[in-house]
Amino acid sequence: MSQRPHEIARGNYYLRVIVVFTLMAGLLALVGFMQSWSLALTIVNLCLISAVMALGVNIQWGFAGLFNVGIMGFAALGGLAVLLVAMPPVKEAWAAGGIRVIFALIIFTAAIALTLHTHKRLKGKRGHGLALSAILIVGIIISRFVLDPGVAAIEAVNPSSTGYLGGLGLPVVFAWLVGGALAAGVAWLIGKITLGLRADYLAIATLGISEILVAVMRNEDWLTRGVKNVTNLPRPVPYEIELQQAPWFIDLVARWNADSLGLLGESARASALQPLLIEGSTIFVKLCYAGLFLVVLLVIYQLAELALNSPWGRMVRAIRDNEVAADAMGKDVTGRHLQIFVLGSAVVGIAGAMLVTLDSQFTPGSYNPLRYTFLIWVMVIVGGSGNNLGAIIGGFLVWFIWVEAEPIGFWFISLLTSGMGDDNGLRKHLLDSAQYMRVIIMGSVLLLVMRFSPWGILPEQTKQFK
Amino acid sequence: MKRLVLASVILAGLSTAVWAEEDVKIGVLMGFTGPIESLAPTMAGSAELALKEISDSGAFLGGKKIVPVRADSSCVDAAAATATAERLASSEKVVAFIGPTCSGETTAVVNNVSAPNGIPTISPSATSPALTTVEDKGVFFRTAPSDARQGEVLAQVAKDRGINEIAITYTNNDYGKGLSESFSKAFEKLGGKVTINAAHEDGKADYSAEVAALAASGAKDLAVFGYLDQGGKGIIQNALDTGAFKRFVMGDGMVGEKLAADLGKDMEGSFGTMAGGEYAGSEAWNKIAESAKIDPKGGPYRAESYDAAAVLALAMQAAKSTDRAAIIAKIKEVANAPGEKILPGELGKGLKILADGGDIDYVGATNIEFDDVGDVPGSYREMEIKEGKFESVKTH
Amino acid sequence: MTDVLNALVLFANFIFVPALTYGSQLALGALGVTMIYSVLRFSNFAQGETMAFGTVITILGTWGLQALGVNLGFLPTALLALPLGIAVTAGLLLLTDKYVYRYYRTQRSASITFVMASLGVMFIMNGLIRLILGPGDQNFTDGERFVLSASAFKEWSGLDEVLVIRTTQALTVILAIILVALLFWFLQKTKTGKAMRAYADNENLALLSGINPDRIVMITWIITAAFATTAGVLYGLDKGYKPLAYFHLLLPIFAAVIVGGIGRPIGAIAGGFIIAFSEVILTYAYKKFLAYLLPSDLAPDGLVQLLSTEYKLAISFIILVVVLLIKPTGLFKGKVI
Repeated sequence: MSQRPHEIARGNYYLRVIVVFTLMAGLLALVGFMQSWSLALTIVNLCLISAVMALGVNIQWGFAGLFNVGIMGFAALGGLAVLLVAMPPVKEAWAAGGIRVIFALIIFTAAIALTLHTHKRLKGKRGHGLALSAILIVGIIISRFVLDPGVAAIEAVNPSSTGYLGGLGLPVVFAWLVGGALAAGVAWLIGKITLGLRADYLAIATLGISEILVAVMRNEDWLTRGVKNVTNLPRPVPYEIELQQAPWFIDLVARWNADSLGLLGESARASALQPLLIEGSTIFVKLCYAGLFLVVLLVIYQLAELALNSPWGRMVRAIRDNEVAADAMGKDVTGRHLQIFVLGSAVVGIAGAMLVTLDSQFTPGSYNPLRYTFLIWVMVIVGGSGNNLGAIIGGFLVWFIWVEAEPIGFWFISLLTSGMGDDNGLRKHLLDSAQYMRVIIMGSVLLLVMRFSPWGILPEQTKQFK
Repeated sequence: MKRLVLASVILAGLSTAVWAEEDVKIGVLMGFTGPIESLAPTMAGSAELALKEISDSGAFLGGKKIVPVRADSSCVDAAAATATAERLASSEKVVAFIGPTCSGETTAVVNNVSAPNGIPTISPSATSPALTTVEDKGVFFRTAPSDARQGEVLAQVAKDRGINEIAITYTNNDYGKGLSESFSKAFEKLGGKVTINAAHEDGKADYSAEVAALAASGAKDLAVFGYLDQGGKGIIQNALDTGAFKRFVMGDGMVGEKLAADLGKDMEGSFGTMAGGEYAGSEAWNKIAESAKIDPKGGPYRAESYDAAAVLALAMQAAKSTDRAAIIAKIKEVANAPGEKILPGELGKGLKILADGGDIDYVGATNIEFDDVGDVPGSYREMEIKEGKFESVKTH
Repeated sequence: MTDVLNALVLFANFIFVPALTYGSQLALGALGVTMIYSVLRFSNFAQGETMAFGTVITILGTWGLQALGVNLGFLPTALLALPLGIAVTAGLLLLTDKYVYRYYRTQRSASITFVMASLGVMFIMNGLIRLILGPGDQNFTDGERFVLSASAFKEWSGLDEVLVIRTTQALTVILAIILVALLFWFLQKTKTGKAMRAYADNENLALLSGINPDRIVMITWIITAAFATTAGVLYGLDKGYKPLAYFHLLLPIFAAVIVGGIGRPIGAIAGGFIIAFSEVILTYAYKKFLAYLLPSDLAPDGLVQLLSTEYKLAISFIILVVVLLIKPTGLFKGKVI
């Protein structure tokens, strides 16, 4: 199923890495110079998150050949973790229905455990499936019976601002770990069910399961507020407005701009300082985020590299390249696949948590497969599957294009139609439709890269870093 | 080579059109793609009508022009909306935003871009009650009223018309859910019974299952809180076709001529509420819109978009500058009484009064009057379908 | 007795007829996916947009015909424009094949490469259809609206409940039956159809026996275009054209294909109906239905709804997962590559 990538000579490869990353940095710097640094940093932050997400997909697809099209679900789980960890608990809601909910969850878990237990005991016997589904259905009915009044009570607590249980009120960075763990846990369950499936079946199954996950988050208001969204999630970094009033920050900005401000009089100085403070504070906050995200990216990258080059990583790649042979040699294919599936999903979960933290809101309605699954796949394929650096550069480049495609599309259309008069109906129609160029450009980039550099910008290096 | 081409394309793209130095740029930040992609273009068009009127008057800030910069806020993708807003604010250097359009992305943009940068932001369509309490540092206003009151008004109207039992379906987002909650609460308080309160997803393949479940609940009337060119219409269409319901109770997202034109003759006697009353400004706005080939009643939030744009421009004139903080300080002043009343189409007159140091009260198409948190109080018009057309019955 | 009849009519009106129509639309779309899969060996993610594109062209053709004053009496004019839609869509698909997929075929690339390429095509077509006809909804249905209207049924039967059949619903089911019959006849009886099946079963063997692969591929694309366009137009006639809805159609279509077993035409049809019926049956509130059938003191107070309609889309995937757990390659033993 998988072919060996075209190897590039070692020296050429390093050169290519350097050139590609320099070009990317150049593009971002270009945005900084030509548009604004604040925008450049916004893009960088999302690029960093995209890179982490692409790393997660690369771990699954690039290393192990697992065709997981359920990225959206794991990203959403990571987001859910932020809400559950960082929001303050809603005491009235807990009092109103908390016990019922916990009780219902215990019943539900017990039903699952009982099902699994029966599954082991009855395996291969007659009536096996029937018994399992009976236990499961009875369990679900009982737990719903307990749950529903509790849910109604919780959702009745001040529905326009709370109406859910809230979270634990812990620091938000801690939520990133929990996001990874939550995604990993769910991935383990899903993997147990689906990993026996072959390529396209697995793909559609994961696509479907991610839709189910998001549907649950959209509709179980007691847990997530559903489509009413949870906003104002706590931040790991200071707020701009506070910075603009903090003496140390005002001092910092003043000193930073001492040259230009020094020439002004007292009153002119104060009014000149205000816009600088606003700009400085937004940039400062974004730098803080960028620092945090960068640390996460580097740690995950390092771990992924170590794993890839360990004996375990070699085994995983051997399984990818020839599943049948690996199986014949006694390797536990499904077991390895499950490990990889859990690990990759955890990374995606962490990225999902970081994304929600950056937005400081959890909006279950915003998860759609185009943006959270297919776009991430484009990142991995364009960057170079099987190569962690490739996934990172893919994340950067594709997100960059996704954001900048709109102005580029507008420019492109005005250039194409510049021969027509200003009142030309077609030109007007096209200019009004410039925003659709975003998807067209994205598709073209994907197809061009696949055609002319089939292994991505940075192809997999099988013997690297020995 | 490819990368070189790509890089040069991007380079050229970044250095888009250079505007004349003295023009003022306003961001039109709307969901041109995503769930409300079909509403956004006309909303933007309506907003740009006001901006054009201002520019053409020649009286704006001593003859300057306003250039609208359209940008896609995607409606649902908070990250993309933030990045786009950031681009408008810091790179295009727009002085203010008209938009964003959906409540979720609006919260993100207000929290992450508008408030930190102090950018005046007026949304014509974000109606979630939660936005009343958003921590916006005073930068955020909206010309569409919060849904909290509409639910109460509509419940009263329904009860007055003798409906005691009703099925509800809402579009599964914060708008639909918020409205359905406030409606059902008010309706039950009035002694009515809600037999089922079920969501529908916009843009989905088929609504048979939803209508079947709604019809099975036993209620004779159906309340639809959705969009008239989205799932809401699909639901009504399906309900009519299967004969499940004949009379519909509709929120403002459903009340529009397009719905009446397509399905009106089959839903005689259905009614709904829409933001706005019988205003002095409605007539004027209808004329302006029609002359620009925008159907003023063809969909929601058009008049609101015009008003949002007009208020921003007038506030700039009052502040006599394009400084963002100065504009914010003037928004309420130009929109609220006292002062000379300004209707749509009279923006030039308003600009002149302001230039002479006078005071105006922009009434606009929808009777704009901001309260302390930047919401409009919202009166609602009760609309009924008579002979296949929406007719205004009375104002609440 | 009247109660039983009422219950049956209720069932037919709210469950059977809508699900049958929706199932036919899904089945046609799923057939396109499955044909591509069996001959070209990849899951075509661009199917939803292909349907939308075909519909866009057909709508434009319909408008043209309407402007010329041509109509089909009680049938929608769009039927006349349908061949145009199919032809243009087939042209576009052949172009994508020439410039995108053919290269990977000559490279004998892995299936996933094709899938990714189809993703790229999906992105481009997604923008293209909006460039042509905008993102808004378009209503292009004309002709008689009902085959059996509510009032006519009431008059005829005298029952409380009514059964309504729209022209578009009848048309959908009839056209689907005709198309499917044609397809099976083509695959079973004609030389080209047999060659196609041989190619799908074993590519190398087929090549050895002198089958021209380019021709097979071309015909596959044309058949796909026909099915996708017809499904898209029928769906649009029935529920209105809206680009976003077509993108969302992709998910239930995939579910249908996989449930039936990918690469099996009969599986695609079965899958389409299973998905459509289960969506409606599992989310239907049986209160009224049971009220007719049960004695009045046993009639339920609650809605008797298994799952709320919010989980409608999820249902197709729950069924998908359950089916895959029992039969890992779908109900009709789908292919594995």
